[in-house]
Amino acid sequence: MGDRCAVIGIGQTKHTDKRLDVNQTGMIRESCNRALKDANMTWKDLDAVVIGHAPDTIEGCMTPELYQAEALGMVGKPLFRVHTAGSVGGSTVIVGSKLITGGIHEKILVVGWQKMSESQSTWALSPVIPFQPALMAGAGGFFAPHIREYIRRSGAPEHIGIKVAVKDRKHALRNPFAHIHQESVCEEEIRNSPMLWDPIRFGETCPSSDGSCAMVLVSEKHADRGSAKPAWIHGTEMRSEPTIMPGRDEVNPRSGSDCAKSLYKQAGITNPRKQFDMAEVYVPFSWFEPMWLENLGFCDEGEGWKLTDEGATSMDEGGDIPWNCSGGVLSSNPIGGTGTVRFAEAALQVRGQAGDRQVDGAKLALGHAYGGGSQFFAMWIVGSEKP
Amino acid sequence: MFTYRLELTNSCFGSFFPHLGRGLPLRHEGSTKPSKPFDFFGSECVDLALVVAAFVLAEIDQAWDRPGQDPPYLMVHYEPSSKQGAVTMSEFPISFTLEFPYTRTPGPVIGRFLTGLRDGRILGIRSGDRILCPPMEFDPDTCETLALDFVDVGPSGTVENWTWIAEPTSKHPIQEPFAFALVKLDGADTVMTHAVKASGPEAISTGMRVTAQFREERVGAVTDVYFVPEADAEKQSIEPGEGEVEITTHTISLPYTDTLYPHSARFAQGLLDGKFIGQRTRDGTVSFPGKGYDALARVVLTEADDVELPPVGTVLSYTTIAPIQYKGQTETEPYLTAIIILDGAGQTLTPQDIRNIPTDEFRVGMRLRAVFKPAAERDIDNVDNDWMYPSIGNVVDHWESSGEPDCPLDELPESV
Repeated sequence: MGDRCAVIGIGQTKHTDKRLDVNQTGMIRESCNRALKDANMTWKDLDAVVIGHAPDTIEGCMTPELYQAEALGMVGKPLFRVHTAGSVGGSTVIVGSKLITGGIHEKILVVGWQKMSESQSTWALSPVIPFQPALMAGAGGFFAPHIREYIRRSGAPEHIGIKVAVKDRKHALRNPFAHIHQESVCEEEIRNSPMLWDPIRFGETCPSSDGSCAMVLVSEKHADRGSAKPAWIHGTEMRSEPTIMPGRDEVNPRSGSDCAKSLYKQAGITNPRKQFDMAEVYVPFSWFEPMWLENLGFCDEGEGWKLTDEGATSMDEGGDIPWNCSGGVLSSNPIGGTGTVRFAEAALQVRGQAGDRQVDGAKLALGHAYGGGSQFFAMWIVGSEKP
Repeated sequence: MFTYRLELTNSCFGSFFPHLGRGLPLRHEGSTKPSKPFDFFGSECVDLALVVAAFVLAEIDQAWDRPGQDPPYLMVHYEPSSKQGAVTMSEFPISFTLEFPYTRTPGPVIGRFLTGLRDGRILGIRSGDRILCPPMEFDPDTCETLALDFVDVGPSGTVENWTWIAEPTSKHPIQEPFAFALVKLDGADTVMTHAVKASGPEAISTGMRVTAQFREERVGAVTDVYFVPEADAEKQSIEPGEGEVEITTHTISLPYTDTLYPHSARFAQGLLDGKFIGQRTRDGTVSFPGKGYDALARVVLTEADDVELPPVGTVLSYTTIAPIQYKGQTETEPYLTAIIILDGAGQTLTPQDIRNIPTDEFRVGMRLRAVFKPAAERDIDNVDNDWMYPSIGNVVDHWESSGEPDCPLDELPESV
């Protein structure tokens, strides 16, 4: 396992539909500066930066990290990019954590970002590129049939997807950094929103955001340097599988459940629903909450929607296992940073820094990201106590 | 001996938006002599139309002699007479252009710099004892954010070094041979890379004095300005524009080529012949289309592993898509796409267009049959669109009910 690794600085931008006042680099720095401030550090203190963002087609800017070295304080130091599609925000953090646990560096910054207003994400995810499986009609068009199949298999009633959307948008009202702040949100409003990719309504989809999220990760010897107590990493795991292959179950992908199993083993988790105080899980379309509840072992297969239905995942209903207290991907989605926000939210919670969305006494939390055609998974567990 | 057709498009549309980008059709008939160095087609090539088309493409590309214009982009179409030819072009290069009009927010420093260029000024920024031009947002030494302390520099400066661009492309700032030079503007401590218009490489040298010239039409871009030898500079009177430059638009194009693998060629041949050719993997399941390898057993699959699947399958799931409008979008009305698993296949087809079955009659478990287009109309050259997946517009005309009862839902494979 190597050295222990702790999160001592967390910073994000206010996610929004269009940041006209900054360029890509300025937006990234805004989150980094906040994380450094939280860690009581400056750019000079950093040993390395690991940066993640999703497909280059989203901004049409090839390898921007190459010209960001100066702005990220990395002249003469290592700066590199991680790329695992939508899960990249999570895998970037994990790659960074390995630099600490592997004893290579002591103080690093990880940052995930996307400035989605610079293009059109449905276009960016629609191109048919030779010899690659086509997503067709963006992410929504790709995932909608998986959701329909989930509904068929589980017999879940229609209102579950609507309920998740309302729940996460209500959570977002507690989070000043969330993109969508929709005071009026209610089931009727979601139900009446246009059907974009049947059975996915407009109200059940994630926004496209401009945003960035950064964290300072350090080895044990620097763990007390931050402005709040550290979040300790109790486990990290990544898994991947092909987009399409014979026998692949795209509704309940094996790479996701395998990833969770291995992760739980590292942290001694045998009953995730009971042992975690909260989970921040990548739910870009509302139906993915029940799907991932099952995939991540919070309940048996076919039972996920019941947890959602009984309010188990809702802060407002006093649920025992709140999911996506930040408002989740449904409320903020700068793709390359979306996974980082999930991981950061878990760390904020166990550091007691989550403000109005704080789960009382949160000690152990799960951060989760997925990407591609439900084929890249990245997860971590952070806790308030040393592992 | 055979007929082929080449369609010439400007690369600005390329083949990526095939419904928009077709223009200037040319028709050639006959044969062309192979020429060096385009010898990547081995002796096993039998479809001469393809070879010739490739040669023509390559020759035009090579011989293109119009600076400032990209070579035309060629799409290859076969006349019906050649459609039955064997597809064995395992090395046939396929060209694509990926393109989109992206926007950029330049931020507070570059934005001011671009606004200055639009207004006929060149701005540097103070960083400690130095004036940086072009201005930077962050101190390159300390990484701290710089104060917005702008200083006018230029309009003349000194060439610190240069290179000659003998054959500019359409993306270059000057559409005739020119120099890219490192120009240290008067009053600045750093150099800016920019274009210098000179009569030839002999007319530029290190240490030479150059002066900025602003273009008639300025949009708030770095290309609003270029440099000329100081002696050639004309006095300009520039009327400032209104407001700050907050957002810029850049059409970004990525033309590239790819090649067809042998298993893909056999798959494509199958489509032309009205057959679905998959590949049996080592655990007995059939991959469709085949990948040329078995992902689990990690072995290469060959022609011996090819399997023909019936054109009949079961609907596993579907969605109706409300098309989001973006540049190049051709759909305007909601349409239905379905995930279908062919009988005997271990994996599903990517979503298939269903335009002839009403949504309210469509259901999971339905048994469907692919109806192929007449042989002469099957089209595998639309390589920029669903190449690996037969769909409407390529070889399958439509999907229709097979007439069989639905597959019971509890017997559906869990492989959506």
